[in-house]
Amino acid sequence: MTMTSDSPSRAPLPLQIGQGSPVHRSLQVLGLAVLVALAILGSRTNSFQVGLLTQALIYAIAIAGLNLVTGYTGMLSIGHSAFFGIGAYTTGILVAQHNWNPLVTFIVSFLICFIFGLIVGLPALRIRGINLALVTLALAVAFPELIDRFPGLTGGTLGLNVNLTQLLPPHWTGIGIQNRFEYYYWIAAVVLALVLVLCANLTRGRSGLAMRATRDRETAATAVGVNLAWIKVFTFGISAAVTGVAGSVFAMYLGSLSADSSFTLTLSITLITGLVIGGVATIVGPIVGGLAVIYIPHWTENLRQGQTEGLFFGTILIILMFVMPDGLMGLLKRLSRHVVRIKPRAPEVAMAVSEELLAHRDRSADPDPEGKGDTTLAVS
Amino acid sequence: MQLFLEYLFAGISNGAIYAALALALVMVFRGTGTINFAQGEMALFTTYIAWGLTTKNVPVVLCLLIATAAGFVLGAVTERVLIRPIERKSLLATLIVLLGLFLALNSLDGILWGNQNYTMPSLFPNAVSSFITVGGARLYWANLGLWIVVAVLVGAMFQLFNHTRLGLHMRATASNRESASLSGIPVGRILMLGWGFSAAIGAIAGVLLTPLSPDSLGVGEMFPILIQASAAALFGGLDSPGGAVIAGLLMGVVEALLSGYVPAIGGQLQEAIAFVAIVLVLLVRPQGLFGSKEVERV
Repeated sequence: MTMTSDSPSRAPLPLQIGQGSPVHRSLQVLGLAVLVALAILGSRTNSFQVGLLTQALIYAIAIAGLNLVTGYTGMLSIGHSAFFGIGAYTTGILVAQHNWNPLVTFIVSFLICFIFGLIVGLPALRIRGINLALVTLALAVAFPELIDRFPGLTGGTLGLNVNLTQLLPPHWTGIGIQNRFEYYYWIAAVVLALVLVLCANLTRGRSGLAMRATRDRETAATAVGVNLAWIKVFTFGISAAVTGVAGSVFAMYLGSLSADSSFTLTLSITLITGLVIGGVATIVGPIVGGLAVIYIPHWTENLRQGQTEGLFFGTILIILMFVMPDGLMGLLKRLSRHVVRIKPRAPEVAMAVSEELLAHRDRSADPDPEGKGDTTLAVS
Repeated sequence: MQLFLEYLFAGISNGAIYAALALALVMVFRGTGTINFAQGEMALFTTYIAWGLTTKNVPVVLCLLIATAAGFVLGAVTERVLIRPIERKSLLATLIVLLGLFLALNSLDGILWGNQNYTMPSLFPNAVSSFITVGGARLYWANLGLWIVVAVLVGAMFQLFNHTRLGLHMRATASNRESASLSGIPVGRILMLGWGFSAAIGAIAGVLLTPLSPDSLGVGEMFPILIQASAAALFGGLDSPGGAVIAGLLMGVVEALLSGYVPAIGGQLQEAIAFVAIVLVLLVRPQGLFGSKEVERV
């Protein structure tokens, strides 16, 4: 997605802050502190709110995964509901049928979904753009059918139920059975934090540049030495793995799984909607997106049961693409540039050359290449 | 033999619908370079309009015509208002807008007409006894009529593409928009027409398909068909109208025979199977069976 570039005017207002300077560091710490404070504040609300927030955090994890492949690398995936489902069923089956500790299953989910992601990413080597979107669409459609096809493993259409006692918080947390949603909330929050750190690290530096170059112009990316095959398949794998872990947390939170109601194409569209609302190719965007896709239907459900949600989301998707294609975080980022600018550190020579090449690939390219770390993290 | 023919007839009917919708998808793809995810929902919307008119005792033929016209307007307006401003930005943006349209139209159907299913009256004699016997198998008039209408429709489209000035303009726009524009072709109007025709074909397919089985008009009716149609379009090659029609028919027939003779993979798994097969084909021939190779100028 091309970013709308604002002219690099040097008005007196944009404060220049050097990257890595004490001011920048303290801003980053402040931003982090605000996020932690918000997370603690969220856990203190009533249990219904905590439940909603947990769902929002789970969706945020899933959207962060989708963001890697669709936002940063530009491959539209309509199949992430399937990865979410695979993660959820991995946890569900391991806990319900093999008595695993739910938290340990997260790692298994991550690995299994990574492998599935690699497999789905393979067609991306030969199939591009619109055809690839259709292949992932096939995945989304096929997943619930496959789940129903193997009832011995997955419970089929009846669903898969996990015994509540296996999902209770351990004793050391001091959280009782009646407050168990607070436990799930913190698990979701911690997983989300880990995932965002992972995404921030992946999307900055060389791999991030390679992803963006692949998105913006494949041929040019190959020309500057990006290994397209590796970037595409790897991104699909990691993206699927992250979304799969979201599914695991979801399985733990919900305790009962049914493919026909939870892991359909609608979920994929919801994730895409969240991504677009929050802002594609931003680190904090998925959090905003997760909150949006949970709270907007919650607030609008009084208007008319169920039906309006789709109309509302559909209309929002369309309107956003017209007026705010970068989403809320993109907008915030653009506005904040008028107030504060993070001056990047002088990059190493080799890096500078490849970045220069990338910056010239397209006249509409952002004058301030984004690979310099996500500045919004500190500002928002 | 009789059983085989009955499966075959059912397959050709489904295949004709897939072919029609695949043709509609290909028309949009050739013009705009995108898959219209909302194609099925546009068809469903216009089918609802036709059904709504039949409940007011409007003759079915007239309903079909009105629905077709409504489809044309819906498609053309979508192109002009939603697609043209956004397609310059990126393919991703266009796809997301179409997903949004898919979602919005589907819920709008639910809001306007409710969640229950309706039976649509047929254009052709549709009584239990209105069939002819071919080789011991029953061929219903509704099916036969559907084949004829789709055949005429496809024939007319090919006539339009290959033997009219408008078709020439459409082909020119599809092959190189800038050059077409430089030679004086009103590219914008051609694109609008393309989307309009495509949605009109969808409307006809919807109105013909729905009466084939009772209680089939519902909010979820068109999505599986869109899936099959897009699989067919991919299979035949997204830029090849002939490929789309052949692949659509083929898929309908293979699907009917499979679910008839191999129940283990029929029924619920059909869509999954169809797509897996097509992904495999795409891995070998990314441009589909009849599509032309994508050449990128650097």
